[in-house]
Amino acid sequence: MSIVAADIAAGAATDSGRWRVVRTVAVKEWLDIYRDARFRWLAALTLLLMICALIFGVEQVQRVDRDRAAAAQADRQIWAGQGAKDPHAAAHFGQYAFKPQSPLALADPGIDAYVGTAVWLEAHKQNEAQFRAARDNPLSARLGSLSLAFVLQAVMPLVAIMLGFAAFAGERERGTLRQLLSLGVRPIDLLAGKGLAMVGVLLAVLLPAFIGILMCCFIFVDASIFSLGDQVMRLVWLALGYVLYLAGFTALALAVSAFSRTSRVALVGLLAFWLVNGFLVPRVMTDVVRDASPLPTALEFRQAIAQDKKKTFGHDESHPAFVAFRDQVLKQHGVTRVEDLPVNFRGLSLRQDDENGYRIFDRHFGVLQEAYDRQDRWRAALGFVFPFLAIQPYSMGLAGSDTRGQYHFTHAAEQHRRAIQAIVSDDLIRNGRYGDPAYVAGPELWARIPAFSYRPPQTGWALSAQAVNLLILVSWCLVAGLFAVYAVRRLRPL
Amino acid sequence: MLEARLLTKIYHGAPALDRLDLHVPGGEVFCLLGPNGAGKTTTVNLFLNFIAPTSGQALVDGIDAAAAPLEARRRLAYIPETVMLYGNLSGLENLAYFSTLSTGQRRGREELLALLREAGLQEGAAYRRVSGYSKGMRQKVGIAIALAKEAKALLLDEPTSGLDPLAANEFACLIENLRQRQLAVLMVTHDLFLAKQCGSRVGIMQRGRLAAVFNTSDIDHTGLERAYLDVSRQAVAS
Repeated sequence: MSIVAADIAAGAATDSGRWRVVRTVAVKEWLDIYRDARFRWLAALTLLLMICALIFGVEQVQRVDRDRAAAAQADRQIWAGQGAKDPHAAAHFGQYAFKPQSPLALADPGIDAYVGTAVWLEAHKQNEAQFRAARDNPLSARLGSLSLAFVLQAVMPLVAIMLGFAAFAGERERGTLRQLLSLGVRPIDLLAGKGLAMVGVLLAVLLPAFIGILMCCFIFVDASIFSLGDQVMRLVWLALGYVLYLAGFTALALAVSAFSRTSRVALVGLLAFWLVNGFLVPRVMTDVVRDASPLPTALEFRQAIAQDKKKTFGHDESHPAFVAFRDQVLKQHGVTRVEDLPVNFRGLSLRQDDENGYRIFDRHFGVLQEAYDRQDRWRAALGFVFPFLAIQPYSMGLAGSDTRGQYHFTHAAEQHRRAIQAIVSDDLIRNGRYGDPAYVAGPELWARIPAFSYRPPQTGWALSAQAVNLLILVSWCLVAGLFAVYAVRRLRPL
Repeated sequence: MLEARLLTKIYHGAPALDRLDLHVPGGEVFCLLGPNGAGKTTTVNLFLNFIAPTSGQALVDGIDAAAAPLEARRRLAYIPETVMLYGNLSGLENLAYFSTLSTGQRRGREELLALLREAGLQEGAAYRRVSGYSKGMRQKVGIAIALAKEAKALLLDEPTSGLDPLAANEFACLIENLRQRQLAVLMVTHDLFLAKQCGSRVGIMQRGRLAAVFNTSDIDHTGLERAYLDVSRQAVAS
């Protein structure tokens, strides 16, 4: 062998030579895709779909925010203008806590439309959220919903499949695979180059979408509620999740293409997986998890709380718990009649009843949220094979539109309700006289009670809940990558 | 340079290649003739390790193609019946692509154009997309790829099939050029005239065996044709 030929053969085997091969394959694939009108159309249509979804998302978030702001202002005016009345009656009069919609909900509205955007805060009760968009506007919720998350989760894998199904099988059919392999190229280098090109194309389609979300965040974020930096951080993690999701699909498409005799076989196999992953498995897993770890119905949940609430006394002065509490208070103050107490006993008893109720609510709502979390964990367990199961909750979680985000809001609303109860009960304890129905508080007390101000959780909080799903997405990417490596090691040109 | 040692390939109990012994040194063009199914393409595929031998060895520059296929392939150039290229790329881009993949090194545009010129492709055609190329033009790009690779051995599998006489003649000249560069050339063909014109030796295969080998200098066209027909008739008779 000549020295030149030996040098050349060695050149292809060195690390720099191999990287050059990988890069050359990637550039050639890029060029091939760029010059193929079918892919230009596919990319353009996908981009258009994303832009439309983003516009719909912005419109939806703005409408909800506008409605929320107007309703919150009107509700505050009603609260502050209620005039002089018994403080506890004011607590019963109640007010709303409105949920500000996360800016990233414009990309992934998650469960927002189904769980309600406001909680009615009133004495003795921890209410569930109400005003559900899906109920208020059922037609669009059922038939007309298009979100960027749907495009990213369902349409983009299809783009990856379209880019990759013929990567090896098509070359085999055209005869170029023989030509390539006869050069002494490592199949693994071909895989890396093709994978790099495909991921590059997908990123080129993804990037405008994420830039669009970022710009929307800059323009529409309410800085008094949401930190812009935090939203950007969430967006970065969200992008990472989608890159892993789509990189896995890229590897899978390449693997199936390498295994398949023809590109048609590869396409059919990949489309079957796409349907199963995106539509069948999520539904089946939802049913399986629901049966394996059932949630109480709304009626059962309320009945269970009501059952426990019977153990405390409310306004029932003949309730054994009320009698026991009264006797305990009298004993503490060394008096025999509630009229002789230095403070208003009615206020004390109301505060005690509230505190009894808080423990009951915390337990029931906590158990419910644990059940939601458990269901979410089980549902995502097969995500390393069917990644839709992991990307869906991950995306909702980072967008702040999942059950945990909702729980964070309802928990904050409940804390605000408790603060209201504490203020009105304290006012009654200090200023009222037992048995004197004439005591009323004035507007200055209502004004002292601050309006509900919700601080959404930070990225770290969302990420801690989604760490498992992120790991599952990493596993999916690794599994698909290993499958691709295995497939190209068996690559045959014939 | 190219050597087959008792090279055998059996498909479902039937030998496609039966204990082939062959040696093609550098600077020689060995033409394999024979009817369809004689084992010619199987021989090429075994040197490329596109299929694994049942027994025996296919050696390229002393390297066992089955044991170290990448090393063996890096020393080979391969031109099939129709050189398959990427239709969306120009001839120049195709050459740049295959050249970089085979050597791990990038060549400059002028160097690549010179290779295409040497292979007989007109300069204007180098910038056109290959989807508009004739078969002869594709074969020329294939030759340019082989030149760029600076391979020591060349495998040709019916490279002039379907070419018009002029293009086939041009191709023959290119083969001669490669032979003079001391490449070992193994060419599978049905074209007796091409075999006589280009070959240093001609082997006639029958049922997976090398039935006869001639020095082309020792035999004329008529003799070669007669020998070929005799071997083919024996195959049919048996």
